[in-house]
Amino acid sequence: MQPAEIKDQVREFIMKIAVRRGVQSVADDDSLTAAGVLDSLGIFRLVTFLEETFAVGVSDEEITIENFQSVNAIQEFVSAKRHEA
Amino acid sequence: MAYHLAQLLQRSAARRPEAMAAWARGRSLTYRELEERSNQLAHLLRDRGIRKGDRVGLYFPKSLESLVAMFGILKAGAAYVPLDPDQPAARATYIINNCRMRGLVTDARRLRQFDRDAIRGVELTIVTGAKPEEEIAGTVSWEALSGYESGRPPEWQPVTTDLAYILYTSGSTGEPKGVMLSHQNALTFIEWCAEKFSVRAEDRLSSHAPLHFDLSVFDIYNAMEAGASVHMVPEDILIFPASVAKFMEERGISVWYSVPGALTQLALHGKLSAERFPKLRVILFAGEVFPVKHLRRLAEVFPGVELYNLYGPTETNVCTYYPVDRARLAEMEALPIGRACENTEVFAVDEQGQRVSQAGGKGELFVRGPSVTLGYWGDPEKTRRTLVPNPFQTDFAENVYRTGDLVVLREDGDYDFLGRRDNQIKVRGYRVELGEVEAALLKHGAVAEALVFAAKDPVDGSRIGAVVALHNGTKLSEGDLQQHCALHLPRYMVPVSVEFREKLPRTSTGKIDRVRLTAEASRAVS
Repeated sequence: MQPAEIKDQVREFIMKIAVRRGVQSVADDDSLTAAGVLDSLGIFRLVTFLEETFAVGVSDEEITIENFQSVNAIQEFVSAKRHEA
Repeated sequence: MAYHLAQLLQRSAARRPEAMAAWARGRSLTYRELEERSNQLAHLLRDRGIRKGDRVGLYFPKSLESLVAMFGILKAGAAYVPLDPDQPAARATYIINNCRMRGLVTDARRLRQFDRDAIRGVELTIVTGAKPEEEIAGTVSWEALSGYESGRPPEWQPVTTDLAYILYTSGSTGEPKGVMLSHQNALTFIEWCAEKFSVRAEDRLSSHAPLHFDLSVFDIYNAMEAGASVHMVPEDILIFPASVAKFMEERGISVWYSVPGALTQLALHGKLSAERFPKLRVILFAGEVFPVKHLRRLAEVFPGVELYNLYGPTETNVCTYYPVDRARLAEMEALPIGRACENTEVFAVDEQGQRVSQAGGKGELFVRGPSVTLGYWGDPEKTRRTLVPNPFQTDFAENVYRTGDLVVLREDGDYDFLGRRDNQIKVRGYRVELGEVEAALLKHGAVAEALVFAAKDPVDGSRIGAVVALHNGTKLSEGDLQQHCALHLPRYMVPVSVEFREKLPRTSTGKIDRVRLTAEASRAVS
């Protein structure tokens, strides 16, 4: 799967959460926590989504600010995971 | 003993000027620096017209500057009002006008979100993070502090019952209400903590809660009291348990205080092990009920750490505490809130107005003592309803605080928490009045009727759901209403689900049938 494809799917999922939080637009580089898009519940939903959609395993140690701070970061993380596998 | 909060800083600064007082995002302040910077701010505030008793707001993310601002405002004889930096400008505007704020410390981004005309009562605005050349018209940049005297604070005569800060919490009628706390109120709690948890100069305290949440009073002032250091958890890592655990490890945190939800996340996903945190010795939690099964997990991971359940509304800060008895944890069903802190009295009053004295007796918890709030800013009516004459003191006038919390007295003298008398709920430890969320929904022109309820959430305590009926001929989606709510409410108050109905069921007296609707809707959500 191409990075652009992964990014589109991640963005689509993020936007679904964002709307529920009253956030209308999220740029690929925007901080998802600062914008209030992700909360403690949202982060684990997102992880489940990534695991199911991209067939990757995400461990607790990997659920960090570095890997999840933006749509771009998530895409890079997923791409790297898929590369590993 | 200190009778003014700024004395805690002044004394530690005199004793250990070069010790670290606070750390945030890779920067730190020594006691001398914090003392000097806050003196400068106090002089600036005085110079620009802030007087004793004035209210000065803080509206920017928690940082080292927040500490300078809090102490600077107190040293000027004023009271500070920490505003949730993530709440919409409309709600901040309400609070600014409600307490007739005369000064505001904020940042450029937040300042731009205001209709400046709507907050024209604010005569002095200080902008953090701005360089002098970027000065916004009619404001003062934070850098201007450097021009003021740092050696000593302005002179004035402090009194321990002076207002120190106002914490705004959710209000049932739709607008937030300002809980007024004096220096004495805060110091009663701080001195109790200092003794009970033996906070020492070597300790490193975490600062997890935001400043508008009273858990932060412990972190900051108990660090200052002991000459210890306070370490601010960066806001953007709060939802990542592995990142929070790394923060605790790297900062060598020895005393931690947060809502149970944060600890549950850590226990489940933080990859905790006692070896990673050799300095950790005390974990305090408050704000909501800690599910025992998660607490057991935490207790297993940290065999040598003291665990305390603290209880108390913003109006009294902590008034009861329960040291977790590990031996009893295995068979325990619910965690007690324990018994009264020293220098505080609590008692339960049953439906007949009698004081509960027998084990198993239920009633509403009342609190008496020097930690009890001065009341609600600008709302003597509401103050009279909760600060009531002590029903058991007939010889002279004395007020006690009615918590609205229902408790049961246990065999061993501890209390168990049962629930609320009203429609207040907790989300991640934050108080939410269902009425405030309903009022926000009703502000939308298309909404005819609205009911808001709490559904149980395994981690956050509860989640907010809404049932709404629209006016004929209008159409709205769940997302539309959530966006609308986000313009009026802090994020944690925005309903996570909205169900639409033609009309809401009513009771025989014509009121919305809250009991029936809540039962139906909760089933649908969970």
